[in-house]
Amino acid sequence: MLIQPTRNRWLPRLVPLACLALLSTAAMQSDAIKIPFTTFTLPNGLTVILSVDHTTPTVAVEAWYHVGSKNELPGRTGFAHLFEHVMFTGSGHVPYGLHDKLTEGIGGSNNGTTNNDRTMYFETVPSNYLEDELWLEADRMGFLLDTLDVNKLNAQRDIVKNERRQSVDNQPYGRSGEIISKAMYPASHPYSWDVIGSMTDLSAASEDDVKNFFRLYYAPNNAFLAVVGDIDPVQTKAWVTKYFGDLPRGKAITRPAVSPVTLPAEQRLVFEDRVQIPRLYVAWPSVGEKSTDHFALELLGAIMSGPRTARLTKALVYDQQGAASVLTRQSSNEDVGEFTLVITPRPGHSLTDLEQAADAIIDRMKTEGPTAEELQKATAGEELRFVSGLQSDLGKAGRLADGAGYHGDPGYFKTEYEKSLAVTAADVKRVANQYLSHGRIVLSVVPMGKADQASKPADSKKVTDGDAQRPEAR
Amino acid sequence: MKVMTKTLTAVLAALALASVAAQQPLDRSKVPPPAKPAALRVPTWTTSTLANGATLIVSEKHDLPLVSFSITFLGGADQFEKPDRRGVGAFAAAMLSEGTKTRDGEALSNALQLLGTNVQAGIAGENGSMTFQSTSAKFGATLDVLGDMLLNPTFPDAGLERLRAQRLVQLNQAKAQPAAIAQRVFPRILYGAAHPFGQAVTEETVKAITRDDVVAFHQAYVRPGRALISVVGDVNAAAAKTEVERALAKWPAGGEKPSFQYPELPARQATTIYLVDKPGAAQSTFSIGNPGPARNTPDYYALQVMNVILGGQFQSRLNANIREEKGYSYGVNSGFAYGKGPGQFRAGGDIVTAKSDLALIEFMKELRGIEGSRPVTDEELTTAKDALTQRLPGTFGSVAGINTAITTVWAQGLPPDYYQQYGAQVAKVTKEDVVRVAKKYIDLDHLAIVIVGDRAVIEGPLKATGIAPIAMTDIEGTIKAAQ
Repeated sequence: MLIQPTRNRWLPRLVPLACLALLSTAAMQSDAIKIPFTTFTLPNGLTVILSVDHTTPTVAVEAWYHVGSKNELPGRTGFAHLFEHVMFTGSGHVPYGLHDKLTEGIGGSNNGTTNNDRTMYFETVPSNYLEDELWLEADRMGFLLDTLDVNKLNAQRDIVKNERRQSVDNQPYGRSGEIISKAMYPASHPYSWDVIGSMTDLSAASEDDVKNFFRLYYAPNNAFLAVVGDIDPVQTKAWVTKYFGDLPRGKAITRPAVSPVTLPAEQRLVFEDRVQIPRLYVAWPSVGEKSTDHFALELLGAIMSGPRTARLTKALVYDQQGAASVLTRQSSNEDVGEFTLVITPRPGHSLTDLEQAADAIIDRMKTEGPTAEELQKATAGEELRFVSGLQSDLGKAGRLADGAGYHGDPGYFKTEYEKSLAVTAADVKRVANQYLSHGRIVLSVVPMGKADQASKPADSKKVTDGDAQRPEAR
Repeated sequence: MKVMTKTLTAVLAALALASVAAQQPLDRSKVPPPAKPAALRVPTWTTSTLANGATLIVSEKHDLPLVSFSITFLGGADQFEKPDRRGVGAFAAAMLSEGTKTRDGEALSNALQLLGTNVQAGIAGENGSMTFQSTSAKFGATLDVLGDMLLNPTFPDAGLERLRAQRLVQLNQAKAQPAAIAQRVFPRILYGAAHPFGQAVTEETVKAITRDDVVAFHQAYVRPGRALISVVGDVNAAAAKTEVERALAKWPAGGEKPSFQYPELPARQATTIYLVDKPGAAQSTFSIGNPGPARNTPDYYALQVMNVILGGQFQSRLNANIREEKGYSYGVNSGFAYGKGPGQFRAGGDIVTAKSDLALIEFMKELRGIEGSRPVTDEELTTAKDALTQRLPGTFGSVAGINTAITTVWAQGLPPDYYQQYGAQVAKVTKEDVVRVAKKYIDLDHLAIVIVGDRAVIEGPLKATGIAPIAMTDIEGTIKAAQ
């Protein structure tokens, strides 16, 4: 449900965090689970992670900043994502366009992505261009503000509006994510506003607001730099020191206090959208990366839906044949998370009946827990997924930087793998009972004028366009 | 000790570099010169023919315990489906997961889940495939399951009816999805209903397909005579051949490579805007283009360079103008769909509703520009060539990437040293070539401009541009009578 705006839709995105976190396995040879790396920290606080892989003459550079939409203040939302765009428009010594020329123009690629917790930038290029990439990343870390003015901000704001239109407003069911976030988190909660932010806030922001945000969060002490691929680590360290070494350390950062969310009661909503077929969304507040319960919740998601033998898929899609598709997944952010169920009905089957049928299957899981075979099937593919991921310099850079940024350990991928391995049937049963409780959001998205197609329509509050749509969309 | 000494020397060298940097102020305005590029390393492979006529290619790569396996069938839905049974190939592929003589659908699913992988079967316009990726330890066992699916499917009625119902739901949902509407309408306008490229899977064809159709399709289509079996990764070539022969031993010979004869294209119409009304749409979805050349055109390399300059990358002319400079879009691009037939040239993207007319003017300006009104610069030409040539090593970075690269050589009939020669071929392209192929393959007088958007807001402004007359079109691509 948590959108991750990116700069450019054509270029590959990194695997979403929730997928990276799903590194569970059953009885794997843990010697396959390795990414060799070295790490060092510059005096200005920049943490650097290097990993050598000469298989392909390419290198990935990832600059990971510990800033996302949760670091924004109400009334000043959308900065983190706007910076992601601005960071590609040139800096003190890099004219506009050169960043692209020194990435896609030499056979490589670039992109950036923002979520609630972090913003990251990455390049994959032929390895003989590594010094150029370090020079580029250092320049926008150190000298972005030299060339930033209101015109640049406004131009990128227009593009961000288009991004929102394309990924949210013009997509059937595209608003479901923001409706659920708004219902789940109180207005003051740092996870309540969208990553893409409010265009009104961005327009209202002064140049000083924007520059202060950058100075605080885009400092080396809030950044992690991963360099992975066909590199000479000694030369790489020398280049990193050369280009990043004299960038000044920023001020100390106060991170927002994020309280966990529990919903006292079920909240039922219905939203009319330009869709052909109604769809049911159920979302429970769960936990984020910092809680080990997310491992069991991810397994629960894999046991409930996906292959035809998964509990909800088998019951609703195959046996009862009331649903065209069913999806369950745990999404983990740094501090909070959500467990989500999405059901698309077949004609002639009401959302009310499908919700009831799904609840019966979930209740059974709460009572019985999963079987040993279900656990085994849900984890059997993890070794392949991990090893396959080792083929990508960028994939490895993402894992190392996430580990360093979220957990203070670039090698956290191994801990993660082992913790997933340690999940038991009792754990899955416990988290199903603990988190899939009555305090949840039930949202029916229905065709225009068809509120009666909602699940339990009489009990569901209509979400109006004004509630659903934030000011920037109008 | 030798290693440690080396490391120590290197550390000292690094310290020396760092201290030099500290002494002299760093001149950041200088773009660091790239180091010497690595020599191109193209994967090698061995080719053989199995007793049943299938071609087998094996490429060894041992750095990770991974295998990418695929069977590719030459010819696809456009060769093997009748117009009133479009979609039968996709059903035939999906039905392979519904059960075999010894395993029902759940047993197949369980077996694959425990192997930690999945077998994907699918069909596209000009080819079809069955693929999986596995750890090398699970390769043989996964191949056995694939062999069972390929050779012993039972096509149970219940599975077909469920898949049919699911497909009908997808088709219904797609009616509200602007990109899906455009993908249906644009080829219909370019190729017409009589050409396979203009035909689509519809509710009618999905409802018409019977189990007999599916079985007949499978029997006619899934034949070794038109198949390439490719195994890439941590395998021994001889052992892989033995494994494949064992798993597919009962696959009888038969099947031919299709001729890929296509009917004549319909007469080209003068440039027209085909408007599909999507009331309230926040954006207008643009698809502008015409039928293009086949992959074997001698102009392939010049077209590749031309398209990088026009719309193949972020800083290509279309995106640099319409997104970055004007702010009308989150991204626009262009490309050619190369294959055996006249695949489409398409330029397009999603445009904010209120700027639909201005965006159309800019699209047309850039198309005219690449045909000569805006000369290609030295920098554009060099960057486009570098982008194409230097991306090649990265495409060989994974077993799946190598598999695709090798399969493409086979399926498109490219020379065995295609990748070795690629850079030299790209290097030959001149500015004159770029303009020549743009003029030859983008017909400004006969473009189809398909726009899915809010008619009430955009029709008037689009008309006022004077670029082309407007024809209202339904979501299947049928032109409505003038209103």
